[in-house]
Amino acid sequence: MILKRGTIVSRQDILWTCIWVGGLIVLGIWDGLFLNSPAFVMVQTAFRNTVLACTFVLLLSLLFGWASGIALHFLETNNRPLYLLTTFALNVLRSVPQIIGTLIGYVILTFFLGRGILNSQTSQLAWMSLVIALVVFQEVTDLVRERIAHYSKLEFFHAMLSCGIKEHRIINREILWKNSRAHLLNKLVSIFATAIFLQCSIDFIVSVGLSTDVSLSNFPVTLGSLLAKLDSKQDILAIGTILKDITSIRSLFFEHLQGISTACIIVFSLFCLYKISQGLARHYRL
Amino acid sequence: MKTTGYNVRIAVDDRVLVDVRGFQFSHNEITVLFGESGIGKSLISRALYGLLDPDEFDVTVNDEPYEAYLNRPEVRAIRENSFFVFQEPSSHLTPLMTLREQLREGSLAKAPAESAILRELWTQEESREDAAIAADKLLDVFPKPHRPSGGEKQRMFLVMALKKIDMVLALARAGKECLFVFDEPTGSLDNHFRNVFLSLLLRRFKAHPFTVLLITHDYSIISEIAHAHKGLRDKIVFKELKRTTQGLILEGFDGETYTGWLHRQQREPSLRKNNTSPLLSVESRSAMFGRELTITRDQTGENECPLEVYPGKIVSLKAPSGEGKTTFLKMIMGLLEAEQFRMVLCGHAVSHESAGSLWRHDIWGKRMTMVFQHADEALNPASRVKEIFEGLPIQETVTPDMLRKHLGRLFDDELSEEFLNTRVFALSGGQKQRLNLARALVLRTDIVLLDEPFNGLDFESITRVFSMLSELQKEERGFVLVSHNEEIVRALVPEENTYFLRARNPG
Repeated sequence: MILKRGTIVSRQDILWTCIWVGGLIVLGIWDGLFLNSPAFVMVQTAFRNTVLACTFVLLLSLLFGWASGIALHFLETNNRPLYLLTTFALNVLRSVPQIIGTLIGYVILTFFLGRGILNSQTSQLAWMSLVIALVVFQEVTDLVRERIAHYSKLEFFHAMLSCGIKEHRIINREILWKNSRAHLLNKLVSIFATAIFLQCSIDFIVSVGLSTDVSLSNFPVTLGSLLAKLDSKQDILAIGTILKDITSIRSLFFEHLQGISTACIIVFSLFCLYKISQGLARHYRL
Repeated sequence: MKTTGYNVRIAVDDRVLVDVRGFQFSHNEITVLFGESGIGKSLISRALYGLLDPDEFDVTVNDEPYEAYLNRPEVRAIRENSFFVFQEPSSHLTPLMTLREQLREGSLAKAPAESAILRELWTQEESREDAAIAADKLLDVFPKPHRPSGGEKQRMFLVMALKKIDMVLALARAGKECLFVFDEPTGSLDNHFRNVFLSLLLRRFKAHPFTVLLITHDYSIISEIAHAHKGLRDKIVFKELKRTTQGLILEGFDGETYTGWLHRQQREPSLRKNNTSPLLSVESRSAMFGRELTITRDQTGENECPLEVYPGKIVSLKAPSGEGKTTFLKMIMGLLEAEQFRMVLCGHAVSHESAGSLWRHDIWGKRMTMVFQHADEALNPASRVKEIFEGLPIQETVTPDMLRKHLGRLFDDELSEEFLNTRVFALSGGQKQRLNLARALVLRTDIVLLDEPFNGLDFESITRVFSMLSELQKEERGFVLVSHNEEIVRALVPEENTYFLRARNPG
């Protein structure tokens, strides 16, 4: 079937964004109807906190990635020793596995909490976001550098330079803003998904407790920490009972909603974000 | 004389690429079709020849669907007894077969031998025997991006077309439909080979007329026909595809309009003012990419001299294709790192050792600028027309009125708000080229380097560029011009301001 370009069905990215939002709304309505009130509030708070934190990760990554990409470009041509030093520092940061880097950030957070610093939930969320952003922002840096390198070889870059247009303007406006928005958007979608994955994984890992004084109960509730709660784990384990008794499937959607909803939000969101990213790549021929 | 008119509409999705009513050409005549680059000449000719893919393009010819048009008996006959010479030969030669095999492929296997045509199309200064040997050696080559050269590939395509003409001439005599389309057949050829091709084509046409559609930007073909093929003047029709407010229209083009205009442009030898120092003086010898570049006064390579541009003067730089003219201009512009290079620009010494900041702060857009050869690549395709003028180092803020006034010197009635908001990728090649020129010429630089500034322009645009350059000359600005269009260069630049560039590999 030949689909006309621009319609929702042919735009996989838009279609999957609608499916994602629609799916979450349906889940919210279902939980509102069948999940007990305290648990429903907790799921809502966890979702809000996760989305907030991941959005913040996304913004910080864009900021750090854009700034470092441009800084490296200018250092490479104007100050070679500083360029090499900065590249070395960034490579050291890059060599730390993302999950380990995030864990280190949580350990530092625990240290702060132990000394009474970062007590508000907002500041804790901001710290978590900053930590995740620090381990993922170099993906944006690489993209920015790749785009600059590609366009620097093209004639229009030289043509604009020879007309006296400032190099930073050509890079920021002409290359990154006008010609790389789709690439950056696609990268940010994948960073958003990475942030959800990292945060959930870390929250699950630290559910055992980070110190005698600090545990998950000190942190703002997120989808990962909610999933790590005993109630949720039992809800997930309940899936196993379907293997023994298929008729128990009904109970999953009415009695084990907290864990099932949390897991569903995480998995469904990651899947939709993957499809959105794939759709963007296809639509913009990235 | 049988004349066929076509209404052609070509679209992709919802975007109309071409919509022309009354596109006419006469049978058994040669129609030379001019028009600015990107206006749709190639697309229309491909559609009429039956080369467009109905799955990719939404095409109607005379308001009937493309499939129906393709199934018409005369269109099927055209595809059997005709030939299409493509604009870009590189992409239409297979790298898996030698040129010899491709010259004898398909229906060409039945055509007469190609040796006589090859000899003529390869003969330049050397003897005809040497030319035949050189061409014969080339036939065993598998085409690659850079070998044979663009000109050789183009000539190879012309050999195929001429072979096919020889083959179908008998059919043409019997009244069969034939159509030979030559899409920019001389774009990569110098004047000598262009003239050889014209002679070969017109000799066959004289023997028995057939239908030819020759698409070109090269208006100097008019002079060549007027000069060397006077007898056929009545059988050759010049037409121009133009964009108007009513859409695309095909108009007759009077060759004398061009020749008369050209005659009026002949410049007086420029008298150098006393005590005037050049705006730009580039030392005669420079080196780049391991090659030595030398500026001379004579084509032979003798009389080495610095390239000097005085206020209000245009100098032309000539060299064979691939010699490094563009590289040389980019070197002057400081866009490529030279191994050895010295110049004096407005009294300031600049060399290959000068700091990059000198170019950024004092030269680019202030003392000197450059118009790049390919407007398609020189402009950001994602920018809107009005955005092209943002960020330039000029005192005044670029207001829409100022922009309209400036662009009005190169454009005419296209300057609506909608046009100013159009993205560059949606413009035709000619519009891009004019925009490319307009951006460089709005700057108040002392020197402007012009690399093929007439590429893709129609006649009217060329005259506009000429008058704009004349005005800027009066403002004492200097120009370095590189253009393959020798006739136009001769009209613009006096002999004494012509320099030659020679490149050689040391040792």
